[in-house]
Amino acid sequence: MPRKVTEEKQAEAQQLLEAPPATHLPAVAPDSLPKAPALTPEVNKQTPAVGQRVTRPDIRTHITGTTRYIDDLSFPGMLHVKILRSAHAHARILSINVDALHKMPGVVATLTGEEVPVNSFGSTYQDQPVLAVDRVRHRGDGIVAVAAETEQQALEALDAVKVDYEPLPAVFDPLEAMDPDAPKIHRIDNVYASKVIMRGDVDRGFEESDQIFERRYTTPMIEHVPLEPFAAIALWEPDGQLHVYSTNGRITLGRADLARTLSLPMNRIRLTATIIGGNFGGKNEIRTEPIVALLAKKSGRPVKAVYTRQEEFIASTTRHPLVMDYKTGIANDGRLLARSVKLVLDGGAYASWSETTVGKAAILAAGPYRIPNVRVEGRAVYTNKTVTGAMRGFGAPQVAFAYESQMDEIAYSLGIDPLEIRLLNGFEEGSISPTGQVLQAVALKETLLMAAKRSRWREGDL
Amino acid sequence: MHQVEATVNGATRRAEVSPETTLLSTLRDSWGLTGSKLGCDVGDCGACTVLVDGLSVNSCLLLAVQVNGREVVTIEGLGGFEYLHRLQTAFERLSSFQCGFCAPGMIISAKALLDENPAPTEPEIREALAGNLCRCTGYTKVIDAITEICRDRAVAVEAPA
Repeated sequence: MPRKVTEEKQAEAQQLLEAPPATHLPAVAPDSLPKAPALTPEVNKQTPAVGQRVTRPDIRTHITGTTRYIDDLSFPGMLHVKILRSAHAHARILSINVDALHKMPGVVATLTGEEVPVNSFGSTYQDQPVLAVDRVRHRGDGIVAVAAETEQQALEALDAVKVDYEPLPAVFDPLEAMDPDAPKIHRIDNVYASKVIMRGDVDRGFEESDQIFERRYTTPMIEHVPLEPFAAIALWEPDGQLHVYSTNGRITLGRADLARTLSLPMNRIRLTATIIGGNFGGKNEIRTEPIVALLAKKSGRPVKAVYTRQEEFIASTTRHPLVMDYKTGIANDGRLLARSVKLVLDGGAYASWSETTVGKAAILAAGPYRIPNVRVEGRAVYTNKTVTGAMRGFGAPQVAFAYESQMDEIAYSLGIDPLEIRLLNGFEEGSISPTGQVLQAVALKETLLMAAKRSRWREGDL
Repeated sequence: MHQVEATVNGATRRAEVSPETTLLSTLRDSWGLTGSKLGCDVGDCGACTVLVDGLSVNSCLLLAVQVNGREVVTIEGLGGFEYLHRLQTAFERLSSFQCGFCAPGMIISAKALLDENPAPTEPEIREALAGNLCRCTGYTKVIDAITEICRDRAVAVEAPA
């Protein structure tokens, strides 16, 4: 017999449904929540996007503290992971002893590199170990991971790990690393990626030049410093599926890399990207995902790993420092006739996205200028430093600093306005880039003139 | 283990914590108030800023036992999803944040400022927010939002209702 529901009870239930929870997200977004405007542009019509004030659709959860970032997620029985990192920039690992670790309070499971099914990963070359086994190549290399009941217990447990090292000569300068006698960081040569771009005859261009300008420019290593540190959570579903939550910004690549390290078919892995508290390129490849997955498997419990701020600096990726040798030949009227560029990218201990970065830096190295003769040589080099990888622009900001600095130096030396030398040499409609691309919809000069006008670059007409 | 009892966002909360437990982890792990964020864990970034007895503090540097018997206000105590605090309304109108990770701490610092000084100058606003880092370069619109509130209120005070 069906239970009789009184009107009173119904009203009560209705009230409960309608009452706004104090601090939690409502099940259905209320109408007052700003929503993304419907974008249905007409063919060949400019959408009125530029110059409009837009309220971000995700701002309401941000300002109420209800946005769920990865560290705001927790699961029953969840363990916390900390990773012991190398004590040396370059060393052979003689032995790793984790016996005492198991007796530390709160420790549930431990992991070393030997237990990782395929202990290597990387976006271009798979030269980076998940956890180092016989050799460390920079201070950020992880060696032992421990899962404990609390973060504090995991941290304290790491003191019980004994690692014996035999220090090896390290190299920190990319130019020194290119020396044939420099310590080799991997089995292959320290120069592991290169890109050469040639257009015209650069030697003849220099011969025909009235003046030649030469200078070396350098840029430093830069960390992305997202406010939210890198993190991952792994749990195994009862049917054998692996579910990983991660701050990874490239989940399709990340899932493939994770499947490879775990020797699992990709369709058994679900990788969920959580809302990210800043990426800037530094969260574009896997880091602790295989570690949390394996520790979750060993412990039979959900496992979370959050980077400390220190790890964020030493065990993530950074922006490539570049050594850039620029030589530019000009005619006395300021026209650029030839430019040769030699780029050395400090790749750090592992390849990561260096191949992409050396490519992009080389392609853009001559700048947005019409130069008939160009030669660019770019090289990425291993050093015993923090790994360098993807960061906004992939090498473009570094070379922009170099070529624009040289343009200014040329202008000042000739005694002409830095704006004029750019207008004289800048790309135009149909200009051909050093890689042979015919450029379309080029608005360089209009943009420069507009910027000069708006910034009151000089008095008088522009 | 230590007993901690504090008034958090107007309600009495209790927790049993080990001596080294920070206020931040007690808020997040014991009381489920995950609005305050852990960014640097050394008091540099300000993502964990909360009010203790009306003063803005880095909750990652304060031990939980230090707030025993005191009053704590977190971002959850300012306004709900449907009932925004005037500061939140201003930040929403200007879309002052991108990734949002710094937002709770930034808003709490702004509240601490306005509670103490209802009409701050722009240098005063900048000074009050000096302990809150934003990596998405959102400072301009954060300062604009606070300035707008002060201006609106000044107008409201001048014009009798």
